[in-house]
Amino acid sequence: MKNKIKNISVYLSCLILLVFISTRLNAQDPAELSTESTETKIKPVKNTFESAVLLDNQTVIVPIKGTFEMDIQHRFGTINNGAKDLFGLFAPSNIRIALSYVPIKNLLVGAGITKDRMQTDIHLKYALIKQTPTKFPVSISYFGNMVIDGRDGSYFRYNVHRFSYFNQLIIARKITEKLSIQVAPSLSWFNNIEGYVNSNGDIKNKMKNEHIAISTMIRYKLSESTALNFGYDQALTAHPTNNPHPNLCFGFEKTTSAHNFQIFAGNYYGIVPQSNNLFNQNDYMKSQYVLGFNISRLWNY
Amino acid sequence: MKKTVFLFIVASIILTASFTMKTEGDPQKPWVVSDAAKNKKNPISSNATSIAAGKTLWNTHCKSCHGSKGLGDESKSAQLKTEPGDFSKAIVQDQTDGALFFKISEGRKDMPSFKKKLPDEEDRWQLVNFMRTMKK
Repeated sequence: MKNKIKNISVYLSCLILLVFISTRLNAQDPAELSTESTETKIKPVKNTFESAVLLDNQTVIVPIKGTFEMDIQHRFGTINNGAKDLFGLFAPSNIRIALSYVPIKNLLVGAGITKDRMQTDIHLKYALIKQTPTKFPVSISYFGNMVIDGRDGSYFRYNVHRFSYFNQLIIARKITEKLSIQVAPSLSWFNNIEGYVNSNGDIKNKMKNEHIAISTMIRYKLSESTALNFGYDQALTAHPTNNPHPNLCFGFEKTTSAHNFQIFAGNYYGIVPQSNNLFNQNDYMKSQYVLGFNISRLWNY
Repeated sequence: MKKTVFLFIVASIILTASFTMKTEGDPQKPWVVSDAAKNKKNPISSNATSIAAGKTLWNTHCKSCHGSKGLGDESKSAQLKTEPGDFSKAIVQDQTDGALFFKISEGRKDMPSFKKKLPDEEDRWQLVNFMRTMKK
């Protein structure tokens, strides 16, 4: 059953990718574009998404040069305890606070701290290709990070075991003014994975160090400043034990001139992408959702 | 009797202070725009595309103070020290595209500069095109 769901998810992800590569550009009316082509040069499509972070993933967006951004990401506990812990609001929660800056065109660099596993991350995102009405059908960005697990030394044999890495290629298309889709394959790497001793006395890793996953996101705008968002993350790597569950998330987004607010429900609790991808044990089939919100504040210098 | 006199004095002070605070911020100095800025030509023709793009930008960046129709009646406008104005009136609509573009770009007091937030001049011209639709 699980394999079937996984196969369907992979198939759907590939289908979405094919659809938005093959469909013709509708983000701007071609008839109107032709009348303007004499007075303005072709520019990249704007606002494929409204923010650099959406639900549990990065978007293809790199803000304009000189943008300083502060992100606050919060995840409550799972809702399935019901009123006992007020649907997770009174349960232990996870939070990340991050700062980022765009020093040169198309490059975002930043750092953040996350409560879960006391992780500190540094990250960068580079916009490789931007969708245009005629030349490029999609926007493509690279996102990568390095994370240091800051917990007590007793968790690690060597300090190098504290490090983990995440690499993601983000491919997105603004199909219409309202609808945008994104597909993002990723590779996570943990220097250290928990082990166990098998019946023969051999030491084995519970999971592989590397993990490949794919993420999809859909944004549908309700108005100029509000949108509904949907996301799905699927693991592609099979591990010996503790295989992570997929993430299904959906939420509402409000954008202003200097802020972006998102409130949503999903299965991921970890916030840091490689932690989410490898260690998520919240199962959407068992209604193990967490409520979460993201707040971004932007300044332009 | 003493209590009444004391209350009267306190009430007078509060009343006077409130008038003083009210009248301090009211008069607005004219917003001087150079002739060069006034005469700058709008390179973006006013059509459905540019007006729609301007409207999207307006709703994200301007609406919270100026209101959806430019009447300056949105909730945030009450908190401003400076009057956001009524963009449907001739005092605004009689200004040149260049003058409006200059004011959007440079800002003044409560009105922020949008040169850095909207670095593409085309965006600011599209805002001007949308503002023209507010004329009554």
